[in-house]
Amino acid sequence: MISEPILKVENLKEWFPVRRTIAQILKGERTWIKAVDGITFSINQGEIFGLVGESGCGKTTTGKLIMKLLEPSEGKIIFKGKDVTHLEADKLKEYRRNVQMVFQDPYASINPRFRAQDVLEEPLIIHQMGETRAEREKIIRRALEEVRLIPPEEFMERFPHMLSGGQRQRVATARTLVLSPSMIVADEPVSMIDLSTRAEILHMMKTVQRELGLTYLYVTHDLSTARYFTDRIAVMYLGKIVEMGGADEIIDNAFHPYTKALIAAVCEPIPGKSNTIKEVPIKGEIPSAANIPSGCRFHPRCLYVKPQCQEDEPILKEIDLGHQVACHLIS
Amino acid sequence: MKWIDIKAGFKDFWNEFKNVKFGLFGLILLFIFILAVFLNPYIVPFPEASSRWRDITYWEDNPVSAPPVWVNWFSSTKRAPSLIIREHTFSEEKMRKMKLTRTIFEYEYSYDLPPLDVIFHGYAKGSPVIMLNIERPDGRIVELVRRPISKSDGKIVRISIAKDTRIESYNFGAKYESPEQNRIIREMVKPTSILFSEAKEGILVHPTPLKGAYKIIAEIILPSETDVVEDVYLSLSGSVSGWLGTDNSKRDIWSGVVAGVKWALLIGLLTAFTAVSIGVIYGVMSAYLGGWRDSLMQRIFELFVGIPLLPVLIVMSAIFKPSIWILIIMMSCFFWVGPVKTVRSMGLQIKEETYIEAARALGSSSSRIIFKHMVPLLIPYSFASMALYVPSAIVYEASISLLGLGDSTIVTWGQILHDALTGGAVINGLWWWVIPPGLFIALMGMTFAFIGFAMDKILHPKLRTR
Amino acid sequence: MADTNDILKVENLKINFFTRKGKVYAVDDVSFSLKKGETLGLVGESGCGKTTTVLGLMKMIPPPGKITGGRILIKGEDIIPLSEDEMREKIRWEKISMVFQGAMNCLTPVYTIGKQMMETVQEHKEMEYLQAKKRIINYLNLVGLPEDIIRRYPHELSGGMKQRVVIATALFLEPEIVICDEPTTALDVVVQAQIINLIKRLKKKLGLSVIFITHDLATEAEVADRLLVMYAGKLVEIGTNEQIYGKRGPIHPYTEKLLKATPRLHEKVEELSFIPGTPPDLVDPPSGCRFHPRCLEVMEKCKKDIPSLIEVEPGHWIACWRNTND
Ligand SMILES: Nc1ncnc2c1ncn2[C@@H]1O[C@H](COP(=O)(O)OP(=O)(O)OP(=O)(O)O)[C@@H](O)[C@H]1O
Ligand SMILES: Nc1ncnc2c1ncn2[C@@H]1O[C@H](COP(=O)(O)OP(=O)(O)OP(=O)(O)O)[C@@H](O)[C@H]1O
Ligand SMILES: [Mg+2]
Ligand SMILES: [Mg+2]
Repeated sequence: MISEPILKVENLKEWFPVRRTIAQILKGERTWIKAVDGITFSINQGEIFGLVGESGCGKTTTGKLIMKLLEPSEGKIIFKGKDVTHLEADKLKEYRRNVQMVFQDPYASINPRFRAQDVLEEPLIIHQMGETRAEREKIIRRALEEVRLIPPEEFMERFPHMLSGGQRQRVATARTLVLSPSMIVADEPVSMIDLSTRAEILHMMKTVQRELGLTYLYVTHDLSTARYFTDRIAVMYLGKIVEMGGADEIIDNAFHPYTKALIAAVCEPIPGKSNTIKEVPIKGEIPSAANIPSGCRFHPRCLYVKPQCQEDEPILKEIDLGHQVACHLIS
Repeated sequence: MKWIDIKAGFKDFWNEFKNVKFGLFGLILLFIFILAVFLNPYIVPFPEASSRWRDITYWEDNPVSAPPVWVNWFSSTKRAPSLIIREHTFSEEKMRKMKLTRTIFEYEYSYDLPPLDVIFHGYAKGSPVIMLNIERPDGRIVELVRRPISKSDGKIVRISIAKDTRIESYNFGAKYESPEQNRIIREMVKPTSILFSEAKEGILVHPTPLKGAYKIIAEIILPSETDVVEDVYLSLSGSVSGWLGTDNSKRDIWSGVVAGVKWALLIGLLTAFTAVSIGVIYGVMSAYLGGWRDSLMQRIFELFVGIPLLPVLIVMSAIFKPSIWILIIMMSCFFWVGPVKTVRSMGLQIKEETYIEAARALGSSSSRIIFKHMVPLLIPYSFASMALYVPSAIVYEASISLLGLGDSTIVTWGQILHDALTGGAVINGLWWWVIPPGLFIALMGMTFAFIGFAMDKILHPKLRTR
Repeated sequence: MADTNDILKVENLKINFFTRKGKVYAVDDVSFSLKKGETLGLVGESGCGKTTTVLGLMKMIPPPGKITGGRILIKGEDIIPLSEDEMREKIRWEKISMVFQGAMNCLTPVYTIGKQMMETVQEHKEMEYLQAKKRIINYLNLVGLPEDIIRRYPHELSGGMKQRVVIATALFLEPEIVICDEPTTALDVVVQAQIINLIKRLKKKLGLSVIFITHDLATEAEVADRLLVMYAGKLVEIGTNEQIYGKRGPIHPYTEKLLKATPRLHEKVEELSFIPGTPPDLVDPPSGCRFHPRCLEVMEKCKKDIPSLIEVEPGHWIACWRNTND
């Protein structure tokens, strides 16, 4: 799939200041939680791009940076060729018409006091779309049909507590669709949804994407849905991308030890594993983002660590067409 | 569907509220208060008390400082209550152009203490002459007054036995009193106590009540055909009067206190509503905007918290012409700080909700987020705290009035209390003047405190768990 | 299903919640058994009654819930007639213990781990302080935690470490049956794999019988020797790991669909299948087979008659009309 990149992120950083103790203030020390620490990638028009990694590695922060819910500490975001890193209020509003977000928790991302109809009407009112109520209702109805809440009339009057988790996530998706955006950031849209419905939501999202030619940034910690859902995957570890490439390529020919560990850890519905201990090629636990190891940030957990890994930070190198890895093991 | 949901929500709330006994009690009290406002004309003898509280003519038929009627229930000396007698027999004699009418009012007197006054009322046109006589149960008839009315197109005639028949009554009494007692000064004589007593020695000094049917007879001479005296009635100012007695300006306390309900509700609710609305919006804005704006708003808030309210109110009331509205505005200006702290902390919590972030991602402006997403969540809390501010507002108004700085065009409980204190109610033992307004202030405070606590109890855990 | 090896036997267990909306049929006529040294998986969608079932086994149903029928036999002894005191002294934690759903997030933030574990311990068994402390350290080591953990506070621990603490607490009084209610749901894949391995190791080492609850069929494949599939308060399928995940696969349409909806990492599929609709409200469950409104192979009979569990091959039980006819 060769097409124009719709979104380009260059050396994006988000450092949250850590509240200092008095001693630290006196000494003039500052410490940071480096939630996102210099990531670069681009997403093509009409592509589903997966951002995969353990909890706390900065996936949501990346999503929010792109959504402009957070101001980046450093770096650039380029959307459709325009630098959108810093935007004024009116430009920002316009940007948000183009880029929308589906949040992780469908139980929390919809105001419990709004009916489905109010939820969908809100973006229309904000962006002054649809002159009359009837016109807006038409748009709302179409959006609900798009997310397969059929018939729309039946759902429009409902409050969130009258909807199941899956239906809520559909409403949340419909809310982004009414603005006809060109890109949607989906932050773990199915992780809180019952497994029987999970596939249905992903299927719906994919159908909508194909029909409307949308671009998705799909954030997840679940490699198995990522494989099914995405075209390309970037694996993130402690605020940095360690491996990036086509979805199948990443899973079938993973190179980075971290990616391999992630893949090994995935549970699969295959018989006869209940008596064996599964080996996951990784040591210890993920360090805090406030205290990032020197050199390759994965080295304390790596089974193949070399002396070089403790000093130099590896950079992303292409090992195959479109397959980039940041690891010193590449000879 | 929406309406049904609101109904269901209310039903849920009500189901829980029902279980909080004191809340229910508060609600019943509130209901009674509201009923009192609406039924005001039917439950008080002086429905215009509110607007004519300081109009002496409105009260002139009342006795001065009379205790409530129900003291009769607890006392062996029965006192005559206030009464209005409209029923009368009427007869007429024509003598050429002139007319002589006779109007007879009957009064069954069966008390130990006579009424303080008996007043004849009428509306006269032309130049009639009115003569008042009283026929006692012992058959004696006392001629009381003969009053020619100066010519007019119509005016109110008011003849007070207590004031206008001093001499006649004295003369009647003096006939029976022993000469040594006769020296009592005429001015000290109470006509009614002579007229309603047995005609025997001691009538002037130690009168014995003469119980039985009295007739008060008004003979009116109408010199020309167009002359007329109509709308006649008799009002008796009792030695007990009304449910809560009267004050030293003859005002009926019960009427005043009931009239005060309306004002207390108005002051309490309006102040609480304005103050809490301001406070809630201020708190939410402070929480949502954050950063230096939050700090600035918090400093301003602290400034207001630091100012002692009562002294400022007193000074302001002394400077401005104190009207109820100005008072409400001034109190709102200080009361708004009340909910700010809680609301701000709740706001900080709500601000972290994902749907707020989702609204931001949709491009919502701050004001939209504050008013559409955050404030509605705080409405239950607002109602609860409003209920709790109502009593404070009422008490503050009462304090201001107690100092004589209240709005003089209306009547509030605080003002009644103020009058009682300056009128020496405490020294003279006029307890019926002091206790009712105080009690009503306390009762109204309790009403809203109960409702507020009950709401707080129900709504608070809801907000936390949502 | 009778077997002398059965350490736990549940017969016709019924649990209802008496709410304002009506009677919730949370667990309805559930029977199963647990063998010694076995891991029994319990899977099902959210709200199907998994937690309620196992809380029933501990007799810890929160009000307005009540066990309204059935028997729970632990080593042949029915625990339903036992009083609360007897349960606390003899059964709970001593014979059967539980890692509660979300327990790792319920550790009190103001106490050290050591203090919290000590409190739980002393609530159930009189023990000298030093001895108890020694045992706590022992068990912490057993779950792979260093001993200085006892002086730390919950917020200083990662999710995986907290889950280990909770597991250590559950093991403390040496129960024979341990129930793990969704111990891995909130955790990352890597930590999840570590916790699963830990449970497997402990099971072998201590000879435990485990009931492992999750809503993820893929996770269950890694842990469970035998599987109970629950739908809307009823068991719909019981089978061994091989029977469910093997070639033949599950037989009940619900399990079948559930397994098809589970994505597999090493297989690229174009479309995942899914189960349309949502689970029913348990206040008013559907007549007949509770799955019938969502079942694609529904027959007239399914709408009227409730299917009971039938053994279709040794150890493989299904509650479905489709399989009783042929
Ligand atoms: N507003 C904030 N202030 C300080 N630290 C933050 C803030 N937001 C996130 N962090 C920290 O940044 C890191 C990355 O967080 P982020 O939410 O992006 O992770 P994630 O990959 O989305 O994790 P998860 O899978 O749990 O959602 C974490 O260590 C988190 O504690
Ligand atoms: N305290 C309660 N009061 C009323 N109903 C309850 C209560 N607890 C649970 N229920 C109901 O009982 C049913 C089963 O709940 P349970 O918690 O056992 O489900 P679960 O399978 O453990 O779900 P999850 O995967 O979400 O943990 C649900 O329909 C739920 O609504
Ligand atoms: Mg996240
Ligand atoms: Mg559960």
